[in-house]
Amino acid sequence: MSLASAPSVTAKSPGSAAGFGAALQNLTGLRILLPFAVLVAVWWAIKAGGDFPDNLLVSPLQAWNAFVHLVSHGVIAEYASTSLTVLGIAAFISLAVGVPIGFAVGVNRYAAHALEGFLRFLQGISGIAWLPLAIIWFGFSHTTTLVIVIYTLIVPILFNTMVGVRAIPESYALALRSLGASRLRLVTDVYLPGALPSIVVGLRLGMGYGWRALIAAEMLVRKGGLGDLIFGARTFGQIDRIMVGMIVIGCLYIVVDRLIIQPIENLTVARWGLLRK
Amino acid sequence: MTAADHPAAHGRPSRLLLGRDGRKIAIGVVLIVLVVFGPKFYGMATANGRLDSTLRGAVEPRNVIVVLDFMPERFHNERIAAYGTFAGRDGALNRYRLRGVSPENLRQLAEIPWVARIEPMQ
Amino acid sequence: MSLRITNLRLPRLRNVGGLAWRLLPALPFALVLLVWTLGWAALHPNKATLPPVSDVIEVIWTRLRDGELPSQIAASLTRLCLGAGVGILTGVIGGFIAGLYRNVAEFLNPLVVFFNAISGIVWLPLMIGWLGIGTALAVFVIWNTVFFIVFQNTVLGVQLVPEVLEQGVRTLGGGRLETIRSVILPGALPYILTGVRSGLGFGWRALIAAELVGAPDGLGQMIFAAADYHRSDIIIAGCLIIGTIAIAMDRWLLIPIERRTIARWGLVLDTGRKS
Repeated sequence: MSLASAPSVTAKSPGSAAGFGAALQNLTGLRILLPFAVLVAVWWAIKAGGDFPDNLLVSPLQAWNAFVHLVSHGVIAEYASTSLTVLGIAAFISLAVGVPIGFAVGVNRYAAHALEGFLRFLQGISGIAWLPLAIIWFGFSHTTTLVIVIYTLIVPILFNTMVGVRAIPESYALALRSLGASRLRLVTDVYLPGALPSIVVGLRLGMGYGWRALIAAEMLVRKGGLGDLIFGARTFGQIDRIMVGMIVIGCLYIVVDRLIIQPIENLTVARWGLLRK
Repeated sequence: MTAADHPAAHGRPSRLLLGRDGRKIAIGVVLIVLVVFGPKFYGMATANGRLDSTLRGAVEPRNVIVVLDFMPERFHNERIAAYGTFAGRDGALNRYRLRGVSPENLRQLAEIPWVARIEPMQ
Repeated sequence: MSLRITNLRLPRLRNVGGLAWRLLPALPFALVLLVWTLGWAALHPNKATLPPVSDVIEVIWTRLRDGELPSQIAASLTRLCLGAGVGILTGVIGGFIAGLYRNVAEFLNPLVVFFNAISGIVWLPLMIGWLGIGTALAVFVIWNTVFFIVFQNTVLGVQLVPEVLEQGVRTLGGGRLETIRSVILPGALPYILTGVRSGLGFGWRALIAAELVGAPDGLGQMIFAAADYHRSDIIIAGCLIIGTIAIAMDRWLLIPIERRTIARWGLVLDTGRKS
């Protein structure tokens, strides 16, 4: 078709730049690293040219030195480990509790309809809003952060499990039933695979909320974790540590979201995603 | 790309895990495990080098001096003080005197990667 | 004879059934209130741990009447509107520029993914040095959160508008601006609105978190200050209001906007999806 072969009107770069860009695209690693290299260069230029004091902005070199310092002194490893551990435990508990409840509610039309609005309301009250109450109940401890993150994760997981189960056409279950399948096989062969894409989407959404709630909770509870690191560094005006902490937070979230959860989402959708609207 | 175009749509689950997504998950999990458990494993592997020879195989609480290679911060003070009764510094800020360190705590202290060495207290 | 009786009964039953269906969502709330009231009457826990329902209602009522609650709500909502407004504006404009120039979008994508990962509350410690504690800080945190989400969705929306439609306008003599106004903007609008809706949700949560850490007024500050005095009734009241505003924002502001604009350009949306 002539239209399909017509040159793209959306690409507006002049010829030479387009060629260079095309060559770059072939090297995926470079494609990811180059923007960050430019970013660091701009960062360095802003610090050097803008003559900002160290209590407002530090140079990339200073941030790197702080990173090496924090790693060799074991600080970053422990704080990052604390945050990731809390997140991992919260995810495990949220899935272990949220998915079964979501199933139980999802199979019943009336229960699902009843709970939908309530769950949306709970989702509107972000986990972080409950933090003052959690501090009153559990004090300044790891329990508080864990409870808040579990709350933040479990609502989207429960909701999405419910939605996922409701979206499965009844004919699937009836078909297997007519062939004599037991209740257990119905769950494993129809309900679980059918709801799985939705559950993973709920997990991903929950992780987005939960990671931020975790950092915010750690900032207030101050008992370890990356939020504690960057907020504590604020007290001493250690901007280099703050920036290192921010970068580490970003990198860790990207690893968890893009290297673990998103591929799982792709796999479940590809394998069982026939029922997505 | 739709679900039908995904290479996994025609394959069995085992084939999925070897594809691009499976590799990403493997890399991601390895990275997280490295961050969370890496320092601990490193510390455990090098634990013996930290303990002074007279302290190895201790069966009763000992008084020790914990030495760091750098000037410590509040973070390090808190961590070390949890393993025994803090009895001040031993001359320099990076040398901690700890009394009544049980054998179990001694073992755990030796596994901390940023501890340089543990000497017996005279 | 029997047929007539059935015809007489069915409409009434259907009304009752329909009414019950609509009331069903209130059931969980009613159950929670019931368990809360009964539990408090039976166990009489410390008021600082769990206040009775009456305390919470009294807090809401008195503070509504003496104007304190409306002023806190107004303070928070003002920050949200400021931050989200600037965020949506910059996000859409930036998203259009990136969406129309493929190389720009591909170059910026890793950066946007990274900054989205640290969007919101993570900037707080750094920006306290620049902006101090107060409204400017909260507005920045919200702008940050909303911008990256709206930007990403706008880029996606612009890129997904099929070239066929663009070229159609071009062949009829339309200029670049005309193309943008009549084809790309309506075509990208569903995605932009999804971004706005998502961004506002994240932004509201980021605002509460920012106010918790430090703000002179606002809902987040109200519940955090109450923790100092162990006033759980104020905290719970505040949380309920935060949740109500989140729902109200979504149901009565965003969904109608979405419905009206997408319904208006429904044809473009369909064609866009099929390609």
